[in-house]
Amino acid sequence: MQHRKSRHVYGRGHRSVLFLSSRAGSDRPSRGTRVYSAARLGVLAALAFSLLMSAGCSNQKQRVDEISVSGSTTILPIAEQAAELFMADHPTANVLVSGLGSSAGIEAVSAGTTQIGTSSRDLKEEEQGLGLIDTPIAYDGIAVIVSEENPVSGLTIEQLRSVFAGEITNWSEVGGEDRPIELVNRDEASGTREAFKKIVMEDKPFDRRAAVLPGTGQVRDVVARAPGAIGYISLGFVAPRFNSISVKALKIDGVAPNEKTVADQTYPIGRLLHFFTKGEPTGLTKEYIDFVLSDTIQQGVVVDAGFIPIAEGGAK
Amino acid sequence: MSEPTEGHSTGTLQLVSRSTYVKETLLKSLFFACAFVFVLAVALIFVFVGWKAWPIVTDYGLGKFITGTVWSSSTEEFGILPLIVGSFIVTLGALALGTPLAVGTAVFLSDVASPRVRSFVRPAVELLAGVPSVVYGFFGIILLRSLVAQFSGTLGFGAFTAWVVLAIMIVPTIAALSEDALRSIPEGIREASYAMGATQWQTIYKVVVPAAKIGIIDAIILGMGRAIGETMAVLMVVGNAPVFPNSPFAPLSTMTTQIVMDMPYAVGLHRTALFAMAAMLFIFSMLLVATVRLLSRLRD
Repeated sequence: MQHRKSRHVYGRGHRSVLFLSSRAGSDRPSRGTRVYSAARLGVLAALAFSLLMSAGCSNQKQRVDEISVSGSTTILPIAEQAAELFMADHPTANVLVSGLGSSAGIEAVSAGTTQIGTSSRDLKEEEQGLGLIDTPIAYDGIAVIVSEENPVSGLTIEQLRSVFAGEITNWSEVGGEDRPIELVNRDEASGTREAFKKIVMEDKPFDRRAAVLPGTGQVRDVVARAPGAIGYISLGFVAPRFNSISVKALKIDGVAPNEKTVADQTYPIGRLLHFFTKGEPTGLTKEYIDFVLSDTIQQGVVVDAGFIPIAEGGAK
Repeated sequence: MSEPTEGHSTGTLQLVSRSTYVKETLLKSLFFACAFVFVLAVALIFVFVGWKAWPIVTDYGLGKFITGTVWSSSTEEFGILPLIVGSFIVTLGALALGTPLAVGTAVFLSDVASPRVRSFVRPAVELLAGVPSVVYGFFGIILLRSLVAQFSGTLGFGAFTAWVVLAIMIVPTIAALSEDALRSIPEGIREASYAMGATQWQTIYKVVVPAAKIGIIDAIILGMGRAIGETMAVLMVVGNAPVFPNSPFAPLSTMTTQIVMDMPYAVGLHRTALFAMAAMLFIFSMLLVATVRLLSRLRD
């Protein structure tokens, strides 16, 4: 918010200063060197830019058209980039984005202090009766991976939980070869670990003997080469890139992870990313939500951030 | 340098010209400043680390910190015993693997090799000492880890891989210093041994190596210092699980690697615990230096 405001001030300030300097430039005889003309070009470009900028804020009354989007930090990159692109298209609009956590977002939107509450989880029971309208904007899926050599092709979510809690330690206990299970976990700073813990582990702690690797790429590489290993990565990283060896994504509860099963939520280790509004969205709020759901954002920002566009497989 | 300036009494200084006197004094201050800045830096680091680490004693409890067996930031448990044990497992194993190799190399260079052979083996050992540790780590994670993974049937992360990588890293340090110690044994001792009818092998293991014993132990302790403080190469191959490992092929974590893993997101008490771990490392290295100094005094 502060950031946006200060930009308005600077926008106006630049305009007057640059007018002066460009006039001073045109008064000079035109025998400038290449360097000089390049500098003048730069000044003109800056002038044009500042005019564009200030055109947006010249009429302060229209800037009152302002909405705020707050909540999940997972959704923050999508909401922020979408807001920037949206404001470039809508010079009169001001979209304020903040990340406070899903629960805070839901609370804020039901209290009316924000127009859109973003959340990476569904509504809890006590939040059901608040008149919130859910607009899903993307899917996030986590694949459980093993080496191609591993004959096991699927686990139930209970088995998966016991495996990562260290209670099942041999593949033969889940229908595989007699081979110890080698756990590969992510570091505690990882968002994927946080999501996996929430969805799969529930209240059980991770087995602390697991190898802890600091990146998705490393987890993938190590698991791909070790026949007894098991790990988890974001669905977007399962397919081989740059000639890396392939890994096998396990079926969970009999469902193979792909964009479709994550999207229709039959694959259990996935989640919807939501926008909640108090009642049906109207006006600028609706325009912003429609923009986030448009192909520009869905196929660009959403895919780049490693999520699955809401249109894949059809939203419910 | 002329003779009179080396004297310390003011009487001799009067023998030189005023400009020489000023120059000498300036140089003396310059060198003093160099040494002083260095000592000041060490003191500052020590004070800073100690100051940042102190709350662990007041807010958490030193006993719980050192003897605790669970390191878990999400539950605010900061017991570093598994990490201390991990550091020692990794270090001692690397020494056990590296020392025979290093001392053997040193004996070869000082007593066995012909000058021509020595002229290319020595630079090779010295080159090994100059390779950045991340290169060893990279070699360890790409080549060694997959080899270990294949023959052990595990992920290949663990103490064994770290031992091999660290052993290669500390061999040059120990070998170079041990060779110096062996070469400082007077030739006369060797000749006396040969004169008694001893073979070359008998001379080496009954006379030369025992005579250079303290110098070699010095070298091993310095190698240990390098091994215990090594972070990057170890981080890449240990697997980073803060537990007591039940086999040389099971993931473990050391003090240095845990600091690097947790640093980016540690706040509050967690950060304090990391500083306290750094202070522990400081104390360990001070103990090592003290041991080396004690041994040198013994040798003299």
